[in-house]
Amino acid sequence: MSAFVDAIARAREGLSDRALETPSATLSTRLATLRNEGLAAFDEQGLPNRRDERWKGTNTAKLADLPLDCVGPGVDFDEAVLDELFVADFEADLLFVDGRTVRSSADRDELPKGVLVLSLEEAAAEIPDLVAEKLGALVDLKTDALAALNAGLFEDVAVVSIASNTRPGRAIRILSLSTSAPEASRASFARLLVVAGSGSEAMVVLESATVGQAPGFASIVSEFHVAENAKLISAEIQSGSAERVQVSQIHAALERDARFASNVLCLSEGLVRSEVDATMNAPGGRVGMNGLFLGRGDSHHDHFTTAEHAAPHCESDEEYRGILADSSAGVFRGRVLVRPDAQKTDARQSNPNLLLSEGASIDTKPQLEIYADDVKASHGSTIGQLDEEALFFLRARGIDEATARLVLTRGFAQTFVDGLSDESTRALVADRLDEALTALETAPGEPSA
Amino acid sequence: MSDAPLVSIKNLHANAGDTPILKGIDLELRPGEVHAIMGPNGSGKSTLSNVLVGKPGYEVTQGEVSFQGEDLVDMDPEIRARAGVFLAFQYPVEIPGVANNYFLRTAVNAVREHRGEDELDAIDFLTLLKEKMKLVEMPEDMMSRAINEGFSGGEKKRNEILQMLLLEPSFCILDETDSGLDIDALRIVANGVNQMRSPDRTMLVITHYQRLLDYIVPDHVHVLSGGRIVKSGDKSLALELEEKGYGWIDGVEEEGVA
Repeated sequence: MSAFVDAIARAREGLSDRALETPSATLSTRLATLRNEGLAAFDEQGLPNRRDERWKGTNTAKLADLPLDCVGPGVDFDEAVLDELFVADFEADLLFVDGRTVRSSADRDELPKGVLVLSLEEAAAEIPDLVAEKLGALVDLKTDALAALNAGLFEDVAVVSIASNTRPGRAIRILSLSTSAPEASRASFARLLVVAGSGSEAMVVLESATVGQAPGFASIVSEFHVAENAKLISAEIQSGSAERVQVSQIHAALERDARFASNVLCLSEGLVRSEVDATMNAPGGRVGMNGLFLGRGDSHHDHFTTAEHAAPHCESDEEYRGILADSSAGVFRGRVLVRPDAQKTDARQSNPNLLLSEGASIDTKPQLEIYADDVKASHGSTIGQLDEEALFFLRARGIDEATARLVLTRGFAQTFVDGLSDESTRALVADRLDEALTALETAPGEPSA
Repeated sequence: MSDAPLVSIKNLHANAGDTPILKGIDLELRPGEVHAIMGPNGSGKSTLSNVLVGKPGYEVTQGEVSFQGEDLVDMDPEIRARAGVFLAFQYPVEIPGVANNYFLRTAVNAVREHRGEDELDAIDFLTLLKEKMKLVEMPEDMMSRAINEGFSGGEKKRNEILQMLLLEPSFCILDETDSGLDIDALRIVANGVNQMRSPDRTMLVITHYQRLLDYIVPDHVHVLSGGRIVKSGDKSLALELEEKGYGWIDGVEEEGVA
């Protein structure tokens, strides 16, 4: 057994049933089912490896060999740590630490009307049936070992519910931190459930970050249920230190005329697997998938997306942009699945990549699986370096080379930033991105001359 | 007009890639003067402007260029720009994702810092920008758009002149700024350039067509051919060239051969 699986097995012995006990019998049953089925499915499958087509681009040895001392949330979290973090300016409606709610918006007046942001405990008291119905509904445990493990081990859920026909005046913000320390390296499992009622229009921002430099593992599974004619935009900002393995799995299901847009900004310095899987279940669904990943140091980013057209007259539009510096590696797999009934599908996909150093690499592949005959589908990927003509132009206007490189790199990323319609989210994303870009060794922000 | 040249080019030989293009150019440009360089295609006009601003891919193999008494050849392009050398490009590059106003402010502040002036904040810069934009009749929405992206040919050239107005260089090189412009656009561009004429500034206007020189009247006209200056004169030389072509000048190689 690998170090990782070994640690998981030890943790299971001490797993309590406490998290499964809720005032609602329905919800308690659902939680117990998820735990049992999740653990069983993980045992069945084991950790993913390269023999699995979906993991071709990533060596999972780093995950398998991860030394772990503890699994799940620790005892107490000192909120003073937040002040030390760059995330201090992120005013969260719910703060998750190692998969457990540390603070939720107890003061309901701070939330926009029609919006609930709850911990699992709070949700069990207020909306148990909704959670029991939706939680885990979008995840196939039998074919997804890491989602199965998450289902087996999560202890808490951040629940966001948006009432029908409401439009919150601002984005809902969730902050998920995973901590790890020497002698106490940790695996944590977080969970987000978002239910957008029919005709609602909302934005949910999830920022996941790490605390500490020690090795560790963080898994987060997010489910977005988008009802008829609703519009839900998600933005995820992932950052993490070099020794972390982070897995984020987003699942979205769209009903008739629903819209869902996922925006993933990935700045992690370690190993990341980021999945977005959106299924258009009824006609008129529209999915946007936007991504920007910045690899640096020895980071490895594996972005795996699936746009599933299960009904006619749906549209998907995807653009993932990769910036790879130093000796980082990127993997992009864009899967477009068009079911036999999904006539009049319109699917677009592109993956432009910018390689900033000779040691950086990108492995990009579209994967079109089309079983309907009246379909428009396009895809394209490019790999390039900074434009030398543009670089010279900026220098010829007095801008030093390092700044010119930074300006052009930021320019490459700008499409992603501009795609965010919510102003405060756009500013947040731009800030995080700038911070990461100016830290790049291949494009330092300080003028050199 | 002072007697000390602002720019002094002596026996300049240069390659574009591995190909020798400039084969011994001598030019003295004094403050306040406008020099025009004309010549057939392939005579080395663009190579000269690229060498003066230090574009990678061009190599000086012999001779020297001094600017304000300093050797220009070994300076990085950004240092030349901050010191006051400016080239209005023949083919301005499009840069998606980089907003024009952001770029202009970065450039202006880089130059100001070099001159020991304070950085302009967003508001002061905007005031300056609006003032200069009026001179080249540029609509405000062009500022928030990406550099030259989707600009017409004339708009790109106006954007070049706008940069010149903002950076206030002492040595302005215009590389075929008139090519492809209609009369209205040409008038606007020339207006911008004429605003910049001053007793302490030198202009080197490279053009294929005499028409531009009706709007920007030069003090001196030089004919470049085969990488050398084969004839110099005053503004009447340009008119003579317009009328008779280049064939009558000794040493001019046939178009396309050089």
